Amino acid sequence: MELAVELPSALPSALSSARSVLAERVAPLTLTGERTLPVSEAFTELFPERGLVRGRTLACSGPVATSLALALAAPAVAAGSWLAAIDVPTIGLDAASEFGIALERVVAVRTEAARWPDVVAAAADGFDLLLTRVPAEASPSAMRKVATRLRQRDVVMLVLGDPGPLSCDGVLHADGAEWIGLGDGHGHLQQRRLVVEASGRRLHGRRRCRLSLPG
Amino acid sequence: MGPTSSIEQPPRIVSVWFPDWPVTAAGFDAGTAAAVMSANRVVARTAAAAADGVVIGQRRRQAQRRCPHLTLVERDTDRDAREFEPVVRVVAELSPRLDVIEPGWISLLARGPARYFGGDRAFTDVLAERLVETIAAAGTPATGIGIGVADGRFASSVAARLAARRAAAVIVEPGDSPTFCAELPIGWLQTLGECDAELVELFGRLGLRRLGDLAALPVTDVLGRFGHPGVHAHRLASGADVRPASTTDPAPERRLDHVLDDPAAQSGAVVFIAKQLADELADTLAADGRVCTRLVVILESEHGERSERSWYRSAGLSAAAMVERVRWQLDAWVELPRGSEQELTGGVVLVRLVPEEVRADDGMQLGLWGGQSEADRQAARAIARLTTLTSDDAVVVPVWHGGRLPAERYRWVSASTVDLDRRARAVSSAGTGSGPSGPWPGTLPSPSPATVFADPHPAELLDEHGDTVRVSARGMVSGRPATLLLLSGDEATGWRRGRPRRIVAWAGPWPVEERWWEPGRHRRLARLQVVTDDGDGFLVVAEHRRWWISARYD
Repeated sequence: MELAVELPSALPSALSSARSVLAERVAPLTLTGERTLPVSEAFTELFPERGLVRGRTLACSGPVATSLALALAAPAVAAGSWLAAIDVPTIGLDAASEFGIALERVVAVRTEAARWPDVVAAAADGFDLLLTRVPAEASPSAMRKVATRLRQRDVVMLVLGDPGPLSCDGVLHADGAEWIGLGDGHGHLQQRRLVVEASGRRLHGRRRCRLSLPG
Repeated sequence: MGPTSSIEQPPRIVSVWFPDWPVTAAGFDAGTAAAVMSANRVVARTAAAAADGVVIGQRRRQAQRRCPHLTLVERDTDRDAREFEPVVRVVAELSPRLDVIEPGWISLLARGPARYFGGDRAFTDVLAERLVETIAAAGTPATGIGIGVADGRFASSVAARLAARRAAAVIVEPGDSPTFCAELPIGWLQTLGECDAELVELFGRLGLRRLGDLAALPVTDVLGRFGHPGVHAHRLASGADVRPASTTDPAPERRLDHVLDDPAAQSGAVVFIAKQLADELADTLAADGRVCTRLVVILESEHGERSERSWYRSAGLSAAAMVERVRWQLDAWVELPRGSEQELTGGVVLVRLVPEEVRADDGMQLGLWGGQSEADRQAARAIARLTTLTSDDAVVVPVWHGGRLPAERYRWVSASTVDLDRRARAVSSAGTGSGPSGPWPGTLPSPSPATVFADPHPAELLDEHGDTVRVSARGMVSGRPATLLLLSGDEATGWRRGRPRRIVAWAGPWPVEERWWEPGRHRRLARLQVVTDDGDGFLVVAEHRRWWISARYD
């Protein structure tokens, strides 16, 4: 299958390039949003750019990682971006939909650890957002290639849990989750209050915010 | 006839139509009530199901209400194509120049074989006999066969469909196609995929109920009012199913081929090359404002075996549709019975796509500001590439299913079996916000768990005394849940207990009783929400006297 990896999308598509040139000309102005994907109001404090900068990789860790990642991705998917969940078969679609993710733009890919870099590279060609777990046995050299590819393709990757050898541009860690609504034998889970802390080489300083999920 | 009579006569075409082919392909016979579903709607059903009132286009619920013992299977276009292959081979023995329009629908030129067998009637008799034999050899057919002969593909296809209903070949005598068409309801244009629903609806609103009404209008007026799609409809309605000569002859340089230095033994690699060729072909044609309606796919192996097939689609073949057809053809070639002529014995070395017939693309143009966006188009391409990179089953999209447990609410279906463009509209119009059809009775209130286990994890739930918590028949817990333990391992080697987690809050049990009327599928369980001291929330379920973790609020 060397073939499949070497040959992608090399063929120029005259039509689509012509169309993008035209779109550029007729667009009223260059949107700052082109370089970032939107996030919901509560998260803007975490990022100096007030959005998810394209081409970056963020790790979500802690006991609220999955909800955090879904909440981060939701506004972009709602705005028309596509989300690929690579090797995250447990993604809760009801929760995703409650966060506002348009499920018709969600695709899940199952893959074995050995093919993970290839699959991520292929997905980077067509999706704005990737949600994945990094396989433990991934090699550092393959990870560097993946990171380069993501940067070239302007893709935001959200990593659940330990990013392993993959170097991330930022880490979002949620701690101190406090559940509201559930009592001792009565009620039901309603909301969770948490403190999210952002750190990492592209997120200078320690940035924190308090928020509620679902907000 | 007026202006159309000056154009050359449409060729005489034999159409073969298997109504409800997908159920036959799925292996059902006519006596079983069964239906094939796609996106929650019936696309094909057996005669028994039809007798109970199951109609094509019906929703799953409606179909099950009409016919409670209905067996439902998901649509699999690859299966349809694979099972159709023996039929194509039988017809190809009688006449090699045939077009496969879709699995279950073939058309071929009548002139040669009719002359050889001594007339249309004699040829259709032979054809019907052979086809009945083939189908019978594979099992009992779910539906009948329709064979129609007429001037022009459109009239012939209608004749084949009528023939399937009447269980006898319908032959429209040469020159009679205009009269035959004039009597047909206008809806046939949509049924056969020649015109889109909006145009046909508009014709209906204007009082054009039959094709003859449309044909009676002057062609110039139709052009002025409806543009090229209208002229196409007018041409079909007049029984003059000929493409204007200027558009049927693509330049020879349009043919694209790829010669492989290393023979490709895996079909994935061949499909990948076909995908590139198809993209290039579709793009170059689209740059001229054209679309390919008939495509000949030629595959050659390193040992010189050859597979050639012609595919037709009146609406035009998109790049994805071309690739799909290459895959069908390849699958069929691989599965050719041993010892047959042209059996595939080595790797594939040549893939060639020849657009035999192109026409002006008067169909939908991708809008810059509306319709399918660039993001959708890129995603569709990436999905196709991921599918070739992994497998069909590995690239999946969610489809609403409904149920009380988180893992039941959605099903994952292979992305290649879903029309992503159409689905985007269908799913968003259903509104996935709180589940497509509003709240499902008996589900837990939002928020829903962010991690859902398709196979629940075994666990233990202990009360303050260290005894397992039981749920009584009346839905009460035996004690206050105090500790949650995750188990690892399996039944055979014994369970290993994980770290004990203290439970700080809980609620439930909420019972679920499903299908109590069906002993084999009866489920009875109780759900509990718990929060442990490290802030983790879990949905635990008691079933079969055991505790399971069904989802996690992480």
